[in-house]
Amino acid sequence: MIRYLAQRLALAVVVLAGLLVMAFVMVQILPGDPARAAAGRNATAEQVEAARVALGLDEPVIQQFWRFIGRVFQGDLGTSVFTHQPVLQDIAAVLPSSLELVAAAMIINIVVAVPLGVFAAYRRGRAADVAARLLALLGAALPVFWLGLLLQLFFAGTLKWLPLYGQIGFGMDVPTITGATTIDALLSGDPAAFGSSLVYLILPAITLSASFIAVIARTVRSSMITALDSDYVALARATGASEFRVVVRHGLRNALIPMSTILGMQLGWMLGTTVLVESTFNRTGIGAYMVTAVLQTDIYPVIGSIIVIGIVFIVTNFVVDLLQLWINPRLRDSAWVRRRPAAGIPVAAQAGLTPAGSVGGVR
Amino acid sequence: MTALLEISGLRVSYPGVDEPVEVVHGVDLVVPQGRKVALVGESGSGKSVTARSVLQLDPDATIAGSIRLGGQELVGAAPKIVRGIRGSGAGLVFQDPLTSLNPVMRIGWQIMQPLVIRGVSKKEARERGIALLDRLGVVNAAARFDDYPHQFSGGMRQRVVIAIAIIAEPALLIADEPTTALDVQVQAQVLELLHEVADERGMGVLLITHDLAIVAGFADDVVVMRHGEVVESAPVDELFAAPKHPYTRGLLGAIPRLDSDPSVRLTSVADYVDTFETVDDEPAAPAAENGAAR
Repeated sequence: MIRYLAQRLALAVVVLAGLLVMAFVMVQILPGDPARAAAGRNATAEQVEAARVALGLDEPVIQQFWRFIGRVFQGDLGTSVFTHQPVLQDIAAVLPSSLELVAAAMIINIVVAVPLGVFAAYRRGRAADVAARLLALLGAALPVFWLGLLLQLFFAGTLKWLPLYGQIGFGMDVPTITGATTIDALLSGDPAAFGSSLVYLILPAITLSASFIAVIARTVRSSMITALDSDYVALARATGASEFRVVVRHGLRNALIPMSTILGMQLGWMLGTTVLVESTFNRTGIGAYMVTAVLQTDIYPVIGSIIVIGIVFIVTNFVVDLLQLWINPRLRDSAWVRRRPAAGIPVAAQAGLTPAGSVGGVR
Repeated sequence: MTALLEISGLRVSYPGVDEPVEVVHGVDLVVPQGRKVALVGESGSGKSVTARSVLQLDPDATIAGSIRLGGQELVGAAPKIVRGIRGSGAGLVFQDPLTSLNPVMRIGWQIMQPLVIRGVSKKEARERGIALLDRLGVVNAAARFDDYPHQFSGGMRQRVVIAIAIIAEPALLIADEPTTALDVQVQAQVLELLHEVADERGMGVLLITHDLAIVAGFADDVVVMRHGEVVESAPVDELFAAPKHPYTRGLLGAIPRLDSDPSVRLTSVADYVDTFETVDDEPAAPAAENGAAR
């Protein structure tokens, strides 16, 4: 178990190092001169050079790299040219709003995809299975921004059930406590604002979750089929357990193992996808922040956002590894982890009569 | 002695490409109260399908004929009735103990399930589970009750599976090749245990196997199946002393013996059955042809 944790932690460190190297390389190769950007649009050549020295951009690349790593570990991701604020401070202000959106999308993802996958597995090969898979595929096939526009057109434009875009209803305001509108509304004890912010969250969250549902539904379906075909499910059924109990208590727990791995990665991808959703729905967040920064050729906020999203990705995956330790008791046994078969195929027990020829071979 | 399980004219078919494929063609079989019946046959003879159809575990299978357990007709019975007899009417032990336990659940939880779903309190279910596991020869049963399956050896896991099968006190235990996946020494232990426990509880046993060596020491009666039909059924001593059907003779003749002459090739079932079929189906044709050619 300690070995497993150490392995996972080491992996996280390696991924983080890779992320930082890539971020640094991006600063080096992306078009645009950071010194010129920092000095301002109307700066003279001397002013640009002064900025270059001030930023340490005249030093050898290796030295710049170590300086960059040192700054990152001190929480210094540079200063935004556009907002004139430290990037980390900017991100801290917008990230909670994105996390709120991702959390809502993740809830929709799980609530829709897991039952869909279980249902499809249970009725596999029948009409219900085909319909469930078609529905899931449809969500995955539609581009996020286009689906967002369609939903806006239908639910906000035609039906007028949900707001077109934004964060909270017009005229309502909540104090910024965490930065996530729903939580701030809740913390400030404003039920009306909380309701409003939830309503504004629905369409963006559905849009964000749509492409992720198919993956989880298919993963759950295939691992549920394996579980439902297994001897232990047949044994559970043979003891008189109800179908619901057989499927949920005996089957689903095993299907959670592959699902949790993918959910962990999806959380990171979702944070990246907020770029599209937040622009479509005009919400604040790290995605919208990145888009603005890219349009302004403001390089440090872009790099900073990438690093922060990467770190969120690494942290969630480590949390998933911890979760798996809880779901899959075999991982706690280091001896099992070492000897587990690569493909997970149980030792085939030979049934039936041994062919006479092979027995005769003992002659 | 009253019949505990009475199967008559059982036909089982599965959906095929065009039309259903029948794999069991009218099997008759009786397990009297408290007796041990071995159902013997090679792979694909339909013995497992026959046994599993008692609990109707395969939703794809179409079952016709009659299966009566303790006088209750199960073919065509309501799903609720069938579910009711699972576990408490008839328990089932599978072949491979490595796959028949849920890898992510504690073995204690799995043993308690048959009782918990029948409304027994967790505390009582736990006590009975530990007592049963202890009876089945798991050392330090109370402490191991909360272990996971991967922490048990194959033989110990099979004891856990047996515990799950019999904790709800079924009158019939169906053991589907319960020792095939175990090594020889453990096989003997598990069989001995099944024998003892069945006698203690007055349980009828339907043992499915292809291993005739097991049958001799375990069963009271033997039913031999081939190609989805019963070819012979007799008390065990009678069958071993004087097998009537050529196929049964073939099965018995195919058992390798330690004291046999190593230079003589072992016989296979085909040596017996082919002879039989040739004689029976087309008695004179080859001879006549030979005569004509000469």
